[in-house]
Amino acid sequence: MYKYLLESVDGIQWFGIGSLLLFFCTFCFVAIRAFISKKEDMDRMANMPLED
Amino acid sequence: MSNIQQFQYDNKIVRAFGMASFIFGIVGMLVGIILALQIVYPSLNLGPWLTFGRLRPLHTNAVIFAFVGNGIFMGIYYSLQRLLKARMWSSTLSWIHFWGWQVVILLAAITLPLGLTTSGEYSELIWPLDILITVVWVIFGVNMFGTILTRRESHLYVAIWFYIATWVTVAVLHIVRSLEVPVSWTESYPIFSGVQEALVQWWYGHNAVAFFLTTPYLGMMYYFLPKAANRPVYSYKLSIIHFWALIFIYIWAGPHHLLYTSLPDWVQSLGTVFSIMLIAPSWGGMLNGLLTLRGAWDRVANDPVLKFMVVAVIAYGMATFEGPMLSIKSVNAISHFTDWTIAHVHVGALGWNGFLTFGVLYWIWPRMYRTELYSKQLANIHFWIGTLGIIFYAVPLYWAGWTQALMWKEFTPEGTLAWGNFLDTVTQIIPMYTLRIVGGSLFFVGTILGVYNLYKTGQQGSFMANESAEAPARERHPEAPAGEHWHRWIERRPLQMLLFSTIMIAIGGIVQILPMVFVESQVPKISTVQPYTPLELTGRDIYIREGCVGCHSQMIRPFRDETERYGEYSKSGEYIYDRPFLWGSKRTGPDLWREGGKYPDSWHYNHMLDPTTMSPGSIMPAYPHLLEDKLDLSGLPSKINVLRALGTPYSKDFEKYAVGNAQEQAQKIAKNLASQGVKDAQIEDKEIVAVIAYLQRLGTDIKVKPKQ
Repeated sequence: MYKYLLESVDGIQWFGIGSLLLFFCTFCFVAIRAFISKKEDMDRMANMPLED
Repeated sequence: MSNIQQFQYDNKIVRAFGMASFIFGIVGMLVGIILALQIVYPSLNLGPWLTFGRLRPLHTNAVIFAFVGNGIFMGIYYSLQRLLKARMWSSTLSWIHFWGWQVVILLAAITLPLGLTTSGEYSELIWPLDILITVVWVIFGVNMFGTILTRRESHLYVAIWFYIATWVTVAVLHIVRSLEVPVSWTESYPIFSGVQEALVQWWYGHNAVAFFLTTPYLGMMYYFLPKAANRPVYSYKLSIIHFWALIFIYIWAGPHHLLYTSLPDWVQSLGTVFSIMLIAPSWGGMLNGLLTLRGAWDRVANDPVLKFMVVAVIAYGMATFEGPMLSIKSVNAISHFTDWTIAHVHVGALGWNGFLTFGVLYWIWPRMYRTELYSKQLANIHFWIGTLGIIFYAVPLYWAGWTQALMWKEFTPEGTLAWGNFLDTVTQIIPMYTLRIVGGSLFFVGTILGVYNLYKTGQQGSFMANESAEAPARERHPEAPAGEHWHRWIERRPLQMLLFSTIMIAIGGIVQILPMVFVESQVPKISTVQPYTPLELTGRDIYIREGCVGCHSQMIRPFRDETERYGEYSKSGEYIYDRPFLWGSKRTGPDLWREGGKYPDSWHYNHMLDPTTMSPGSIMPAYPHLLEDKLDLSGLPSKINVLRALGTPYSKDFEKYAVGNAQEQAQKIAKNLASQGVKDAQIEDKEIVAVIAYLQRLGTDIKVKPKQ
């Protein structure tokens, strides 16, 4: 009953798929950019706690 | 490297939060042991203030917000200053934050045993305290962002991203969960009801675990583990992915607390899918922590700080593997409402939060006191007792959870429940509850040893309230180098980081919750479901006050064994007038949703006086005060007015007749009791009649035949 009425919300069937796609795109963007970043930049950042 | 500036780190505020953390850790764990004892020895329920129902939220709040909360602030105030090369922006705000938080804790410790509660798990505190928490949290945020904006180090280390995400998400969660309309200074009704409130509650409840117990501690792991191991984090790239993936995914996982309930299927599925996906970033973070120790494992054997941290990170990995498994519907069908959940959260609370807090305390304390740790041997003993404590806590409860779930679901060849009496499934696992006391006590003893060790460390050293440091001033508007990496760009811009984090965590909430709110006007009403009568409403508020929801669910899932044991499964339309919803999350006692009409009024009267007279062997506390305390109906008109404003269809001017209506119903119940042999003069003026009225109403509306 309640869940069927929710189907009257426009495009409800896309909420789940859209969420996954949104995550997938965000994840790919972050992952690709992280992996193509320069090693020296990453090393400098990683050493920050040891330099205080 | 020109313009070197000299400044001092504020250690005093770090020490204050550290001391508050272990003091409230002791208090919270002690209350936990009392609760564990009360389950095995019900006579230890010293009513009405110290009964299980009222103490349970005190335990959870003390551990989450007092022990871990103060631990978070200790870790943040220590690491933030050093990572930013700046003293906290305002010492005044630091101390207002500290004392404000302790006042919240003190008021929680007073109000919860008094039965002043909203009943939402981890959001039990009454509305004036909700406002106070908001003020204190904003002060903390202003101080944190003030420090970030006046920093000397232009880049923000990964730990600080976790702190920023924590701050903004907890603010959003707390405000949305606390949307309520006050009835008096101590009472309020939530603006959402039934299934909608359930979704908001577990969106909040799960993310309290995610963004209070996890993300700030991950920030601390990324700072203190490299410090203690004296080597950089294994992969900074992995930490970037860990952060963004974790905060994006976590916010969606809440509905896994509501599997097989009346929540729409698509929301349940979304919760399950995102919960399973959580394994990836969680384990990415865990491996990043453990691999930081590559080449230094020999030191782990000799350094108690590293021992605590390693077991903490492993416990994090175990809990974050188990969580997604528990979110699979077929596993959840077994685990939900049992002690399995309790074991799961304690692996997180004792292992992850507890051990990381101790690791950080053992690392920070000697440095702030300019000395060595008083006794490494004592710290090692603490470590082993604590580890044994976690094992003796968790393993018996896993056993208890499985055993009880299988007993609930077992049928005889004839097709009847093998264990028709719920109590039989409880008495079966009492030995496991006894072992849990041993586990909890071991962990508690370890904590006492730890506090003694820190006290002696402080005694032998001299405290450095202000620690001198120097760093070059930050260039305010550095030129961006050509081809600058995007993440370096954002790492220099905390406000943009705040904005992106907010967008990330808002998406999940908006997609899951807004559709539910949009269709509020379309929620199907079951024609026979009516608002509670004034007396039932009063009884319901007493039920909430006594914390009955801590042990009794009001949600029958559509399983053969549950419909056989309790009756027709629950429908969402039955809860539209339930403010707050009382579905519960643990069945130490049976579900009560179809309790109405199951027993005569006198059964409930005698059961409240002494549960063992009606259910021999029962571990439920006795509630004799309900038979003695006078029924207070004075708040009814305001309650009716507020509920009507929120959409409950009480007729016009009903508030004027509410008290009379309640007295009339109380008279009827008193007559019933008298006819059933209960000799108790003036019983119609006592709280017990309201409780009976409420219990007899539960789940009965769908049994009423609609009027033609």
